[in-house]
Amino acid sequence: MKTEGEGTAPARPRLFARKETRWIFLWLGGIAVLWGWDLLFLNPPAFALVRTALFNSLLASVLVVVFSMALGWASGLALYYLEERGKRNIHLAVTFVLNLLRSLPQIVGILLGYVLLTFLIVQDVLRSPFLQLVSMSAVVSLFVFLEVTDLIRERIAYYRSLDFFDAMICCGIPERRIINVEILRKNSLAHLVHKAVAVFGMAIFLQCSIDFIISVGLSTDMSSTNFPATLGSLLARMDSKQDILAISMVFSDISYWSSLFFRHLQGLNIAFMIMFTLACTYNVANGLVRRYHL
Amino acid sequence: MDGLSFDIRISADDKPLVSIRDFTLAQNQITLLLGESGIGKSLISRGVYGLLDPAELTVSVNNLPYPEYLLSQRVRGIQRAGFFVFQEPSSHLNPLVTLGDQLREGALAGASPGREVLRALWEGSAGQDLDSILAVYPKPYRPSGGEKQRILLGMALEKIDMLPPAKRAGPDELFVFDEPSGSLDNHYRDLFLTLLFDRFRRRPFTGLVITHDYSMISRIANSHSDLLDRVVFRELARRHGTLQVSDFQPGTYTGWVKSLLPLGALSQASRGQEPLLTIAPDVEVFGRRLVITKDPEGKVPTRLEVYPGSMVYVKAPSGTGKTTLVKRVMGLIHEGSIEAKLKNLQLTGATPRKFWQDRIWGKRMTMVFQHADEALNMQSTMRETLLGLPLRKPLDTDGIARLVGDLFDTAEAGEVLGKRVRFLSGGQKQRLNLLRSLALDTDVLILDEPLNGLDFDSATRVIAILDRKMKAGMGLLVISHNEEIFDALAGDTHTYYLHIRRDSDRPSY
Repeated sequence: MKTEGEGTAPARPRLFARKETRWIFLWLGGIAVLWGWDLLFLNPPAFALVRTALFNSLLASVLVVVFSMALGWASGLALYYLEERGKRNIHLAVTFVLNLLRSLPQIVGILLGYVLLTFLIVQDVLRSPFLQLVSMSAVVSLFVFLEVTDLIRERIAYYRSLDFFDAMICCGIPERRIINVEILRKNSLAHLVHKAVAVFGMAIFLQCSIDFIISVGLSTDMSSTNFPATLGSLLARMDSKQDILAISMVFSDISYWSSLFFRHLQGLNIAFMIMFTLACTYNVANGLVRRYHL
Repeated sequence: MDGLSFDIRISADDKPLVSIRDFTLAQNQITLLLGESGIGKSLISRGVYGLLDPAELTVSVNNLPYPEYLLSQRVRGIQRAGFFVFQEPSSHLNPLVTLGDQLREGALAGASPGREVLRALWEGSAGQDLDSILAVYPKPYRPSGGEKQRILLGMALEKIDMLPPAKRAGPDELFVFDEPSGSLDNHYRDLFLTLLFDRFRRRPFTGLVITHDYSMISRIANSHSDLLDRVVFRELARRHGTLQVSDFQPGTYTGWVKSLLPLGALSQASRGQEPLLTIAPDVEVFGRRLVITKDPEGKVPTRLEVYPGSMVYVKAPSGTGKTTLVKRVMGLIHEGSIEAKLKNLQLTGATPRKFWQDRIWGKRMTMVFQHADEALNMQSTMRETLLGLPLRKPLDTDGIARLVGDLFDTAEAGEVLGKRVRFLSGGQKQRLNLLRSLALDTDVLILDEPLNGLDFDSATRVIAILDRKMKAGMGLLVISHNEEIFDALAGDTHTYYLHIRRDSDRPSY
């Protein structure tokens, strides 16, 4: 029982009462503080590189979300209509291809995609850094979008099992409107936003992992210099790795810890950005799950 | 009036849900609380009984904060001496304990071991059925909703039997029955009322029966008329934006039922016309063979015909497959076989879905589903629901106002049009559910429990609209458990019966 003035916590501003909003602001605040620190203590060329890497990583992740949503939506609907129209052979073929894609470990699939991209870059087909970023995102989304496909199919199947769908179709409301507007937009927006946040986190993680793997050198043909700078590729640079290894110095000389924030700023900066962004993304997604009981 | 009086306010997240100043239960009498579903009848009774969660809702009863009310002698006494039968039987039963053991838990441990009450409630079923059910751990699908409901009603009746002999009810002897007939057919509903009133005659107690089934009034008036002065009929309704309880005269309902005549001025004239919809008597769905007949015994299979301006009423006991039949007729189920003709269109099990989409759904035939909660989009506003209809002439503001005005008062319409459906009461949802299909003006309209959850006023309005639509030439096919109303509205000529055909049955045609 809430009674006025007793035993109640002080009212929190409405905006911060939501966990997901709180973590979005926390992320923005954290990045802003880091930016200020870098401005003061990181050397200008390294700062420029960090800025570019952060921007590229965020842009690529947003693109992965956009591509995955589009691909997931299209494939989810395609599978639904093929099933409904009784096109069993095509449905089987599409399901087979999608399952083949699903069976491939994401990291291996993306690495293979990057091999193709490197080839295109070497052949001068992909010249513009923006186009390269878009291509990188497209490759990542190819191995992520099935999560969206599954969600779309699950939502449609759930509403198909209720009178909801039949009652609308009996009123002559077109099937495409029932699915796209009534089911997906009006009744699944929270689920889709949650999935988009999860895909964003996944994209950051996969991208950093792949860029790091490529940058430490899987072959002489592929290297981080082929691709636009990202947080992963920057982390794999020799100077960043040295910065991270410098943490171990603290164990032998405790007074060294203060130097970490001035002399080894670049590597720590990148590592923090990756971890902090992933933690915030997780909490935003978690907040949405709790609020909408997903 | 000698009674229990309550001033109850309930809100959630600062949104007021219920506020009622004078909710009175007459002591030593049975109060029949009527009203449309979702208006707050259950919430109020749970509040009185001390069953709401103060962590989720902000509640005050008689100006007492709820935690204090929960600790009061009144609540403790009511919970000790009375019984509360929940609307949703599954939520009352423990899935980890057999039904038999639950019947002997707590205060019921001292109840009669013979289970006479339950056996009486199982009248018509084999005794073995009851014994096998009592060994079951309740699950969502077993036993059936009706059986669970009868178990709970049996518990409450046993608790009444345990009351010490007295001429007057003690102040705490409050027995609440929340929608006791929600999962029962008319036979078991009448049986329950008989058992309840027999006990009340022998030993008075304070009772509250919450229902939106107005036909209970007729049953009480016809079969328990000696108790009419000890049953208080009250109706909960929202008037001018506030919730009010007022007395309801049983004669208002019984008189109205008596005055009902077959609807549709064209029904006589329509005999010379071709039927709008014809359904061959044999239908097979999900391996179940159904047969349509004109006689209640199911001996003479008959082709079901819906003429312009007529209402056809299909009757059958619960679980026979009435809803399945109409869904099959609507082309929503493709399994099995059916032979039907909609004007000049032949409809069989092989008719492709695209044909239904292009030629039938929303154009020549539509259907009102029985559960408005499932049939409507809870995230849409009422306005969006109506604007989304594929009408030849899209609705404008005036059109929506006219349409909504058929079933909503002007003030209420202004209040609810922009509201999301999930915030409407059950009765408002059902009215919207009906309006959506009525707006389409199809040749044939199928109605599955059209009066579900409606109060008396709304039910009379719905019937007036149906009459108007029939006069304009629409054909109606109705399935409903409100037999006394639809028997009168359809008349014998347009009443059909649905039966399950057993293997031993021989076709007689």
